[in-house]
Amino acid sequence: MQRSISRAWPAGAWPRVLAALAISACGPGGTGGQGGSNVKGPGLGQVDRGENLPDVPAKIETTAVAPMTDHTPAARSPILDIMAAENQRWTKSLAGGADPAYYLAYQIVEQRVVSFDAEGGALVNDSDETDRILDIEIRVGSPGLDNTRALSDDPNGFNEPLPRRGVVPFESDGPAIANHLWLETDRRYREAVQALTYVRQDQRTLGKKKGVPDFSNAPAEVYIGTPVKLAYDKAAWVARLKRCSERAFRGVATRGSCGVVLTENTAWFVNSDGSQLQTSWTTAQLAVSVGVKADDGEGLSRLEQAFGRGPADLPDDAAVDKMIDTVTRDLDALHKAPLAEPYVGPAILEGRAAGVFFHEVFGHRIEGHRQKDETSGKTFSSYVGREIMPTWLSVYDDPTLTTLNGKLLNGFFRFDDEGVRARRASLVEHGKLVGFLMGRNPIGVESASNGHGRKQPGLDPVARQGNLVVHAEKSVEYAELEKMLMEEVKRQNRPYGMVFTDISGGFTNTSAFAPQAFKVNPVMAYRLYPDGKRELVRGIDISGTPLVALQSIRAASRNVETFNGVCGAESGWVPVSASAPSLLVERLEIEKAFIPADRPPVLGAPSVRAGGVR
Amino acid sequence: MSAITRPTVRPIAVVAALALAWSPALAKKPPPALGKQSTAVTNQIVDAIAEEMDRALKALELPDAPKPYHISYKITEVEVNDAVASLGFITNAKERHFVNLECRVRVQYDGVDNGNFVVPGGDGIDGVAGITLPLEATPRIARRAAWLVTDTAYKEALVQLRAKLDARTAGGVGGAAANAPWTEEKPIVGEDPVLVPALEDLDTIKARATKLSAVFRGDGHVRASRVAVTSFLERRWYLTTEGTSVHDTRRVSGVAIVAHGQAPDGQELAQYYVKYGQTGADLPPADELEAQAKKLSANLLALNKAPLAPRYSGPVLFENEGAAGIVRYTLAPNLGGTPLPQGLRPQEAKLFGGALAGKVGLKVLAPFLSIVDDPTTGNAGGTAVIGGYKIDDEGVPSQKVEVVKNGFLKSLLTARTPSVAGERSNGHARRTTKGGSFHGSATNLIVTARGGVPAAALKKRLLAEARGQGLEHAIIIRGFDDAAVTASSEMSRRELLQMLSNADVELPPPSLLAYKVGLDGKETLVRGAQLGAVPIKAWKDIVAAGKGATVSNFLASAEGFFDHKLGGVDEGFVPSSGIESSVATPDLLFKELDVVPSTAGQRALPAVPPPPATR
Repeated sequence: MQRSISRAWPAGAWPRVLAALAISACGPGGTGGQGGSNVKGPGLGQVDRGENLPDVPAKIETTAVAPMTDHTPAARSPILDIMAAENQRWTKSLAGGADPAYYLAYQIVEQRVVSFDAEGGALVNDSDETDRILDIEIRVGSPGLDNTRALSDDPNGFNEPLPRRGVVPFESDGPAIANHLWLETDRRYREAVQALTYVRQDQRTLGKKKGVPDFSNAPAEVYIGTPVKLAYDKAAWVARLKRCSERAFRGVATRGSCGVVLTENTAWFVNSDGSQLQTSWTTAQLAVSVGVKADDGEGLSRLEQAFGRGPADLPDDAAVDKMIDTVTRDLDALHKAPLAEPYVGPAILEGRAAGVFFHEVFGHRIEGHRQKDETSGKTFSSYVGREIMPTWLSVYDDPTLTTLNGKLLNGFFRFDDEGVRARRASLVEHGKLVGFLMGRNPIGVESASNGHGRKQPGLDPVARQGNLVVHAEKSVEYAELEKMLMEEVKRQNRPYGMVFTDISGGFTNTSAFAPQAFKVNPVMAYRLYPDGKRELVRGIDISGTPLVALQSIRAASRNVETFNGVCGAESGWVPVSASAPSLLVERLEIEKAFIPADRPPVLGAPSVRAGGVR
Repeated sequence: MSAITRPTVRPIAVVAALALAWSPALAKKPPPALGKQSTAVTNQIVDAIAEEMDRALKALELPDAPKPYHISYKITEVEVNDAVASLGFITNAKERHFVNLECRVRVQYDGVDNGNFVVPGGDGIDGVAGITLPLEATPRIARRAAWLVTDTAYKEALVQLRAKLDARTAGGVGGAAANAPWTEEKPIVGEDPVLVPALEDLDTIKARATKLSAVFRGDGHVRASRVAVTSFLERRWYLTTEGTSVHDTRRVSGVAIVAHGQAPDGQELAQYYVKYGQTGADLPPADELEAQAKKLSANLLALNKAPLAPRYSGPVLFENEGAAGIVRYTLAPNLGGTPLPQGLRPQEAKLFGGALAGKVGLKVLAPFLSIVDDPTTGNAGGTAVIGGYKIDDEGVPSQKVEVVKNGFLKSLLTARTPSVAGERSNGHARRTTKGGSFHGSATNLIVTARGGVPAAALKKRLLAEARGQGLEHAIIIRGFDDAAVTASSEMSRRELLQMLSNADVELPPPSLLAYKVGLDGKETLVRGAQLGAVPIKAWKDIVAAGKGATVSNFLASAEGFFDHKLGGVDEGFVPSSGIESSVATPDLLFKELDVVPSTAGQRALPAVPPPPATR
């Protein structure tokens, strides 16, 4: 299974531009030995692991909202009563039968998505759509062994549930909504019973023991949030986007786009444990993007995005102009930049890129269910309590955070999609692995959910990241980090070091059938020479393996940056953030990127002035 | 490769201006007020694209590669308002508006052109490319878009040509032999705006869907139901390097009512009703639609008690929608005269019929039957038909074609890819195959019969045939399933797998309304009647036809029956794919066909009954 992180909102009409970053170290010829740790890391060389850095932590100031804040029972929708009644009718009716459902959850999400896109000064998309989507999770058998247990040999996933975007009528009519709940429950229950028969057969055939349970208990939660309304000035946004895209369509760009996606969401959740949740929120996202094809056929693009809780959080025109300047300047530079050659050596991942690096290399592998899946590489399963990165680094994921260093975090939520209260999950403390991101799927070393069971509407939840934070207890100013890079360049006898400031996509493989490797596609990659010269290059990927990569971190900057985006995996696209200081990595491997067999347009761009209209 | 999809109820495209003028039924009503001209695609936009087309034809050339010899553009502006409701409440409602530019480039070398060829392992490399255009007229962006899309299409066309040339000697590519290249057609110019009535507003559409869907409230035997109402406008502009520059507009409103039930043995039951017209005013009035919805509910109740169809071999009478269905599913796909592309997989090729290829001049139907296909008409026998248009998808004017006369095949329906050198398009390019070529396809297919008899007499004839074959009963079929309309999302993964493994994709769809008829004329509704294969030669053995005609408007989906069953219906909508088509036919009595009982769609009964309020 491959996972990736993206900064493009998947529901809108924008191009789905992936963004991820990961690094690797200890390529061929890596140094041997061990440095500064009581626990020997896998393949780690005898090097300075940063223990001598100043004891000044990287700057992290956060604000948070406790999940129960603004609980407003008076705002309760009758939809919750309809859902609860049908839920109870099913569980009671099945109770005396051969295959009772021991757990049944309903989630209805009403989502309005407003999106406008402009290209080169003209509006190309004007969309305002609202859907009400039903998801049902049903479990038969027992928490110890139920219908969701993976079969020993089911490569095509025939025994997995078939989630669908169930349809539910708008408004709050009892009979109409209950009928649709009943229809989808009937399908999912039938499917669950079918699956359980295969699970039981599998257990009997292979003489398996039940092993780790399939489902964990969680306290019932009741929370009622007041429904929020999306407010925006359409005419003003259209005018702004047209202006923005006209300004972005300059330089070498053959595509200059600006778009905004505004959403209004209300989710109702009811389960047979007694949870009843009503949450409501808005989101806003602005994107400025430009693109062109290089002479050798490589598609070059630059994307800058801003996220907010509502339209008012998005940047003003002056800030948008800066975004335009950034993407157009970068694109023009990329168009002239030479192709890079394969390289192994020291590198700096600047803040946002470092955040995505952790998201890809560490975050996905720390998702609890992957430690259990027989087909997964289980990279970190045996490392609990052991050191997996420098002792001055700690990592946690906290969905209740709303800002970090004043910047809004995209991964905020109150309750996860399994009805569990969101809470901080400590993952690494002083370099040692201490926990996993958990939904209600227990694993051998951890059973309780920490409120990270997430999904997009229409899919089944699994453990996912929210707001991932990398905390460095030792740090240096960024300028010092560059000096350290140059020292490392000299020590390794390299002609230059690499600095990565932005990336466009990537993936990490967690399947046991393939190498436990990651690969990401940097957009803005620079060679930094000892004389201070900075040279932009293109056409490269960064690849590596996670355990080695994490232990190759040598230093962190004092400033911490946040990457906001959306992340795609088997439970769909969910909003996330990743915050990290800039990181110096001892060794990073760069390979040539795949460049499709293409070339720029045969003819030069048409000029209306020169040729014009007929 | 490029395609425009309308992600909702696929409305019917008609040449509204023509249809409005021709339909007597419509002539009785005051015509709805005409809508406005496009503000997204103006003359300046068309001019800007034409300018780029001219530049590309003159200058677009890669070293050592052929230049384009033909470039065409289709600008499509789509506006859709539609809504779906269930049990008296909206489940989905949307307004959509978008503009697309599609470019097709043809290149040739050594007398071989890139068209009608499926690149092995590269279905999407077809010399066709698409791009989105602004919603507001912006010539600078339109020309830039034309520049980019033409470049992409040209490069694809070169790859396609290279692969086709290789296939001449490399072998291993199945399908038809190398075809004669692209036909030449006279350019046509007609740039005046074609104004059609404005769309019904979304609130009106939602109100109709809401009210009609409430009919099923309280019908406990109806598991699921939905009503989709749509209003749709598609403006098209064609430009070609031959000099064609023409504008066409299509406008439709429609309603689809779908209800599902489950038989006591667990078999899924479905009933549906669809109606389309040029505007909402052409649709049946609310009370008639409600009566139709109630009829669907009553049919489901009757099917709940109906026995499985018997295994049967003998005369089968197709009445009403059943007659239209047998024409649609077993005859119409074989009327295309376009050769299939090289490299098309045999399973996909079967969707394009081909059983009548090479049979022009031969007897193919019973001698009292004749067929014309007429995209130039707006009605058949006073009923509006929806398969019409002014210009086909290759920019060729539509033509009325005499397909069969007195049982003899006179002509097939053709596009610009000829089956033999010298053949011309008769303006029926509508359906694309992989490789990007358009296939000649039926539009408004009108079957007529000499000596047609009234329904009662036809039934007597059926019984006489049955008696003559020593049978104790006969079969009447009055409706077929249309999975594009009825497919539900109610199957589990394993049930879908079971269905697929048991599927015979060559059979017509299951019958939704079939009757076992005793020799005394008594009819018994049966369920699960699956017609066996209907070979084209069975059409020669039609023994009688009815008087009058059933006119059926439908969407001929590019996907097969089981594809729809697998995919269900997105978001509760009727799927968007399908070519606007019509069949007008008398009832038809076949001498001998097979019917088998089918329990397809069977699954466990609900473990918990429906909620009390909907029982």
